[in-house]
Amino acid sequence: MVNNSEAILKLHYIFKKYKTRGTFFGPQSKDVIALNSISLKILKGEIFGLVGESGSGKTTVGRLIVKLEKPEKGEIYLDGQEILSLRGDQLKGFRRRVQMIFQDPYQSLNPQLSVLDAVSEPLIIHKIGNNHTIEEITRKTISSVGLSPPDDFINRYPHQLSGGQRQRVAIARAMILKPEIVVADEPTSMLDASISAQIFNILLQMREASNITFLFITHSLAAARYLCDRIAVIYKGNLMEIGPAEEILHNPKHPYTQALIDALPKLDLSSSKKYYNSLRKEERIVKENAGCPFFSRCNVSDETKCGQNIPPMKELGKSHSAACFYA
Amino acid sequence: MPLLEVKDLNIHYHVQGGILKAVEGISFSLEKGRSLGFVGESGCGKTTLGMALMRLLPSNGFISDGQIIFDGEDIRKKNEEEMRKVRWQKISMIFQAAMNALNPVQRVGNQIVEAITTHSPLLKKDEAFKMVKNLFQLVGIPGDRIKDYPHQYSGGMKQRAVIAMALACKPKLIIADEPTTALDVIVQDQILQEIKGLQEEFQISIIFISHDISVVANVSHEIGIMYAGELVEYGNTEEVFESPRHPYTKALLSSYPTLNGEKNMLTPIPGETPNLMNPQTGCRFFDRCPNAISSCKINPAEWVTISPTHKVLCYQCGRDCGI
Repeated sequence: MVNNSEAILKLHYIFKKYKTRGTFFGPQSKDVIALNSISLKILKGEIFGLVGESGSGKTTVGRLIVKLEKPEKGEIYLDGQEILSLRGDQLKGFRRRVQMIFQDPYQSLNPQLSVLDAVSEPLIIHKIGNNHTIEEITRKTISSVGLSPPDDFINRYPHQLSGGQRQRVAIARAMILKPEIVVADEPTSMLDASISAQIFNILLQMREASNITFLFITHSLAAARYLCDRIAVIYKGNLMEIGPAEEILHNPKHPYTQALIDALPKLDLSSSKKYYNSLRKEERIVKENAGCPFFSRCNVSDETKCGQNIPPMKELGKSHSAACFYA
Repeated sequence: MPLLEVKDLNIHYHVQGGILKAVEGISFSLEKGRSLGFVGESGCGKTTLGMALMRLLPSNGFISDGQIIFDGEDIRKKNEEEMRKVRWQKISMIFQAAMNALNPVQRVGNQIVEAITTHSPLLKKDEAFKMVKNLFQLVGIPGDRIKDYPHQYSGGMKQRAVIAMALACKPKLIIADEPTTALDVIVQDQILQEIKGLQEEFQISIIFISHDISVVANVSHEIGIMYAGELVEYGNTEEVFESPRHPYTKALLSSYPTLNGEKNMLTPIPGETPNLMNPQTGCRFFDRCPNAISSCKINPAEWVTISPTHKVLCYQCGRDCGI
């Protein structure tokens, strides 16, 4: 659990856009706003969930944090230090502290590297340990992700592993440098339910054992509830709601969060009725939306107020806030 | 008489190094206007089963044993020509990743018109167009989008178009293989409600195939849980969810994170699914089962009837419950 509320990572008004490439038939390129003024604080030792649908910008946030992308505007601070300007050795030091687990373990592992080579590679790059200790650390890390005994696995290649085992190797590779922050981008969306539960539990154990901070990026509110201390909901590049996980799920204030919860298929068949009804039956036709990103689909919205103005984040107590005039 | 009756179906694949037993001994029946959901993890044979019902298995796959009786006729005995008349007109399919099922260089409306006119050659083109317009209205696509190309549609709209295509020839049975897997939850919910509504309106029978137990739970009257090529539990959806009997069903349910109620620790299923090239003689879940006893490894599991609408393939479960 989170003992101190010290922020390890801060995002300040992040703005990111992508250019679409013009095609043969329509040669003009367009700007797509991926993130619109996102501000976040991630606390030391917490598992922070970023939940959104496809195209919401959730992966972009993760990629910005590990410096795979650069924002157009805004700043990112790790432990008070601005990271966007890091170069050379400082950047290498940063990479050691911040690691990422990708979505697809079929693509994130080099097919030509054995498990031993893949997992120990970060140690070699960062010049940690000698030949002897490298193998020992690697074995330990491999068994810590549940691939035990490690001797059964170290000489295998990715094609000899199942999807779940591959993802464990990817996790081991991220963990071996003992990072402070790990960005996990949909680490289980390619895996079966029983296997993804294994992965979730490994992440929880890792946090328990070494107080790593996780940014868990997911489309599944149920998975976020299981893993996370706090959840932020993102929609079309805008932060809609943020708060403690149980608060977001059981007392959602933003109509979009409410619509998400209504739409989830429930295992408990008796409670399958729509509770919030915050989604409009007929989508509004909006030419250029100057207001709330959810305006066109929102049932509670007001034509002039929500259609013209972007609602600011509103404090609702208990560290829960939502960007809605009606929250 | 049920619309579809499957008896002891075995489906094998020729693969490098031997024969892979993808589906073994599956039996079930489906009444008119009912929906049946098959749930299982990847590699359990659920897609193979769906493909076999339409005789659309890849060239290395074949039905090695069993019967598929659809509408009183044996599907296995039909030749290709006869099968063509069954496909789409009587049984249609919503494919996995349906967004890729549309031809990108043809207008969406024309593709559906083509499906209709191929199967009823006497129909005039403008009549077929009218039918497509009605279909689009039915599945919730605005009529003016009929002449658009697939790339102009959103993911949800493509899925709706594919559903419209599946409905085009008024089939008696639709096989929906992961119909909403690639979609966001809000759109998924809308599509599922759509399918459910259409089914009730036209009394179509539907077979849902999904890895997501909660999706199937919300749309199917009956549910079949598959594991490693076998059906392990089958019954009325509410009964199976309220009192799951097979250790695999129980394990599957407790490995899903839930939205409501107590936040319990998830209990993943240890181990991996067995190799279907050479499955063991006993229960296929033996290696991963918490309740297994030594005889489970040797003796094949047996069906135990829990109630007239609920049965389970587990020797142990039946005995434990004193049945």
